Amino acid sequence: MALFAVLQTTFLLAFLPLRTYQSEVLSEPLPLTPESLSVSINSAKQCLHLQWTVHNLDYHQELKMVFEIQISRFKASDVIWTGNYSTTVTQNQVLHWSWESELPLECAIHFVRMRTMVDDARIPVPRFWSNWSSWEKADAQNSLGDHPLYVFPKDKLVEEGSDVTTCYISRNHQDNISCYLEDVLTFGKQLDQSVWAFKLKNISFLRKTGTNFYCQGQGVPEGVVLFVSKVLEEPKNFSCETRDLKTLTCTWDPGDDTGLIQLPSYTLFESFSRKKTLCKHRNRCDWQVTQDSQEMYNFTLVAENYFRKRSVCILFNLIHGVHPVAPYNLFPKNVSATNATMTWKVHSIGNNSALLCQLQLLGEGKVIQQHNISVRVNGEYLLSELEPDTEYMARVRCAYADHFWKWSELISQNFTTAEAAPSEAPDVWRDVMFVSGYPMVTLFWKPLSKVHTHGKILFYNVVVENLDEPSSLEVLSVPAPANSTKVTLNQSSYQIHVTAHNSVGPSPASTVAISGHPGNENVEEGRINGTEDGFPMSWKPQSRNATGYVVEWCDGPQNLPCVLQWKNLGPTTTGTVISSGAFRPGVRYNFRIYEISTKRMAHLLEKKTGYLEELAPSYNPQVVPNNLTSHSFTLSWKDYPTESQTGFIQGYYVYLKSKAGEKCHRGFEKTVLPDNSVCCKYTIDNPDQKTFVMKDLQPESVYEFFVTPYTSAGEGPMDDFRKVTTPDEYSHILIHIILPMIFCVLVIMIACYLKSQWLKDKCYPDIPDPYKSSVLSLIKSKENPHITIMNVNDCVPDAIEVVNKPEGSKIQFTGTRKSPTETKGTKPAYLDLLPTEKNYSGPGPCICFENFTYNQAASDLGYCGHFPVTSQAPHCQLGPLTSPENLLKTLEQNYMNSLGEIPAGEANLNYVSQLASPTSGDKESPPTNPPEPALCSEYKMQMAIPLGLASPPPSENSSLSSTTLLDPGEHYH
Amino acid sequence: MSESAGEVRDLVLTSDFFLPAPFCLLTLLLPPLSLGAPISTAESITQAYNLALNMQLQTSALLQTYVKHQGSPFSDPGFSIPELSLITLPSTDMPFEIWHGLEDGEHLSLTQQAFWSFSQHLLLAVRDQNDINPLNDNSIVLDQLEEARLKAKGLAIKLARIMNTLGLPIPPANPLGTVPFGDSAFHKKCRGCVIIRDYSFWTDRAVTFLGELKAKYSE
Repeated sequence: MALFAVLQTTFLLAFLPLRTYQSEVLSEPLPLTPESLSVSINSAKQCLHLQWTVHNLDYHQELKMVFEIQISRFKASDVIWTGNYSTTVTQNQVLHWSWESELPLECAIHFVRMRTMVDDARIPVPRFWSNWSSWEKADAQNSLGDHPLYVFPKDKLVEEGSDVTTCYISRNHQDNISCYLEDVLTFGKQLDQSVWAFKLKNISFLRKTGTNFYCQGQGVPEGVVLFVSKVLEEPKNFSCETRDLKTLTCTWDPGDDTGLIQLPSYTLFESFSRKKTLCKHRNRCDWQVTQDSQEMYNFTLVAENYFRKRSVCILFNLIHGVHPVAPYNLFPKNVSATNATMTWKVHSIGNNSALLCQLQLLGEGKVIQQHNISVRVNGEYLLSELEPDTEYMARVRCAYADHFWKWSELISQNFTTAEAAPSEAPDVWRDVMFVSGYPMVTLFWKPLSKVHTHGKILFYNVVVENLDEPSSLEVLSVPAPANSTKVTLNQSSYQIHVTAHNSVGPSPASTVAISGHPGNENVEEGRINGTEDGFPMSWKPQSRNATGYVVEWCDGPQNLPCVLQWKNLGPTTTGTVISSGAFRPGVRYNFRIYEISTKRMAHLLEKKTGYLEELAPSYNPQVVPNNLTSHSFTLSWKDYPTESQTGFIQGYYVYLKSKAGEKCHRGFEKTVLPDNSVCCKYTIDNPDQKTFVMKDLQPESVYEFFVTPYTSAGEGPMDDFRKVTTPDEYSHILIHIILPMIFCVLVIMIACYLKSQWLKDKCYPDIPDPYKSSVLSLIKSKENPHITIMNVNDCVPDAIEVVNKPEGSKIQFTGTRKSPTETKGTKPAYLDLLPTEKNYSGPGPCICFENFTYNQAASDLGYCGHFPVTSQAPHCQLGPLTSPENLLKTLEQNYMNSLGEIPAGEANLNYVSQLASPTSGDKESPPTNPPEPALCSEYKMQMAIPLGLASPPPSENSSLSSTTLLDPGEHYH
Repeated sequence: MSESAGEVRDLVLTSDFFLPAPFCLLTLLLPPLSLGAPISTAESITQAYNLALNMQLQTSALLQTYVKHQGSPFSDPGFSIPELSLITLPSTDMPFEIWHGLEDGEHLSLTQQAFWSFSQHLLLAVRDQNDINPLNDNSIVLDQLEEARLKAKGLAIKLARIMNTLGLPIPPANPLGTVPFGDSAFHKKCRGCVIIRDYSFWTDRAVTFLGELKAKYSE
């Protein structure tokens, strides 16, 4: 059977030319073998390129043939690859086939051979292979130079994630060559004595300048650069549209850049028209719409790079993809306070097709009106219900009316409507203060909201209407932006109307009524607690006819100027929550709730006070300790204001520290301070009590105290304790005794000092006065009641002694003394009084010496120096002194005589003290009969008399026995 | 002399890099000598010295930027290829003693030739980088190479002007022939490294030499 088959095949091959001829296919006889096989190397693509022909084919012969190809490496016997290649062969056809080598071709000699076999259906099986061709050698190493080391493949393009085989050829057979992929040591496989191959797996993209693979032996490193490309992505979001029905634009997202030298190409292919275009951009391609009214398009986008090809398809209806160009020339026309007409234009599309345009009106960034208008060329629309003096934005976009697909881009235009009169009355409130019984009203109003101003408010009109005097009307114009004004009224009832004006006109009026008399302010103040939302409060209506309620308060703390705030509430409201961004924790706010009558009169209903959030007191009172005793002291902090604290003061804590371990006093409790020290604490729960008596203390002990207020949020800050030391127990006794004693002593001493003269006179006078002597009383009482002191009338003055002292002090004239006339009334003279029997008229042999002429004034004037004696000066004269006149005369004469006899400066008057004896007074004086003190003597104390009284009055009934007159200008020694 | 000066100007005008921006930079580098009054030799030397100093400061940054963009092994710390040299580059083999023993004229001549050569080699490095990455998004390397090229050319011109004022003959400006070692991307990267390395060497040498010359002529 097999033999039969072989014979049949041989027969067929032998007669094939004949049959071919008959069928016009074959004309030449077999055998068919590949001939003229040549192998070339494409280093860039690492390909072996084979080229051969098949002989023995007739001119018209066309046979399907299969070629078996074998490739060997290094040696012909080392076949590394065998494969078939099928193709249809014609006569004299040069066949080409390429084989891509995994190993760079430069690293090894390759051998190629092939054989062929007819694989045509017209040829019955079995078929036979032809003989192998001879081995063809492909040796790329011939072209290498004489470098010791070569690395391959050079500048190869690699797709990221793929595997690459590299190799090196070492000409001098070095065995210490290391190879690296970038900085990673790579291990390879030795293929030959001088060739090593390296399989680099999963190559990653590092940079656009390529990934380096290099080997280094003893010399210069040698390497190659692998240009790694990222994997080409399939285009995403592929879509097409037209803006004018003339040009189609297809767009897509190409994905990440491949990072390769070679950029991918993009081609757009349309299957219905079988046209294609090479796109100029990575992500966009234009396609001209033909005039043959083709509506449907089947586009295929092909992205291709060195490694792969990717494509996406889309079926596109031209009418369904119209994206009009944005309209233009959008303008407002005829803009009034509430209306405006908008006009715009559109680009014509196709055969003047209609567009659907959407006109949007935006206010403050929000769409407030939206209208759809069909437009062919010009669009127009009247916008109404606009707000006066408001800036709007109008914007337009259009879409294809026949089939909506996409809006065009928007165009916009801003415009502002015209002004109109304000639409709402200003919110007005008042603050009334009575100054000297007259109300001073401060009117406040809130700026109108933008919605109601309808233009810029220029001024506010305030009309004051006296209800008691209808003819009295006062109009004030307050320029904006003022929000208050003051009006002084009399004690009548008023209505005040306030209107806001812009350039167009006034707003409705807001009215408040003012009574000329203070209302009832004696309303009890209630406390309220703030919450997160504000101050909730409620009230009880007083009148059924109330038209509303007003709550007023100040936004700032009490110590700051009041920023009056108010809130209007409806007549049915009996409660509200007052909230303000200005409210702060720890600040006391006072609220006043007014009821508004039908006549717009406000009556105070209630007062509320409270804190948004009570805080602990921020500071402590200045505590003053007083009334300190050995067992107690009093603490006082009366200056501490409880009204301006950061919470309602509920009381005070009094902390007391004493000796360690000491028990707390009654009413105190032990507590631990933040610094872990233990002390006693007393709680005063009455915020008005600002004194505290610390009792039952130990004497001579140190106590430390500290007072802090507390609110519902806690107590004040922990300050330093103040120290108080109690005195010892007897100190007060000492104070009570010693101080009065010291006082008494002082009084006595002062008294003694003041009465020293008196005491001296009393107890030890310089010149004893017998009348004042206590002896006298003793004598009187004990011995003889009739014994008395001798009267002066009993005395007989003796004489005046003039002492001449030539060797004494000389009288000098200074020339600057008073004239003698000035001292006429006090003519001084010093006389020695000698007893004269002749003029003696006294009852007994007594000498009475009385000196009235001690002139205090002279002494005081201090004329202590010598002075001249003028002719007017009185003369000293001895003579009977029975009367003052006589005495004076005598003195005068004596004095003059003596002056005449004695040169000036050699004569002097000498006063002999009443205490001194005549003998001891002046030894040079002539011996006289001295008075006999033993018998009777009388001494009258020298007295200081005024100048005017220096000369004894003549009428005085005194028993002067002798008189000494002293000129103040004279002095004695 | 005047012929030599004209030759220098021709070199500038016949530059094969006619981009507008480099031209602007080049005009900045050129002193106003050609348009205004002649400046003194000392001033010319000072200008050349200042330019060389500026080049020296930028050379380090240039090398760092370059190797960073080439990847390992070029960017490895301590990478050097002392064995590798380009025969077309100015020699760096001359021992210091011999260099120091040369006359000023010889110094000037050798330095002028060197920087003229570097201006051409740096242009080659620019082209190599463009070949490696045609997308040009490593423009910082190209910018710095281009700047260095223009400065090298500017220094060569300044040195020629100094030689001109000193009456020294100016060597002919030969165009760069075929430069070996550059048939693959790896070799082009290596070639750039060698060019910048030797450029750095010659910049240091120029700063030293011109500093001495400046001191000599400012006395």
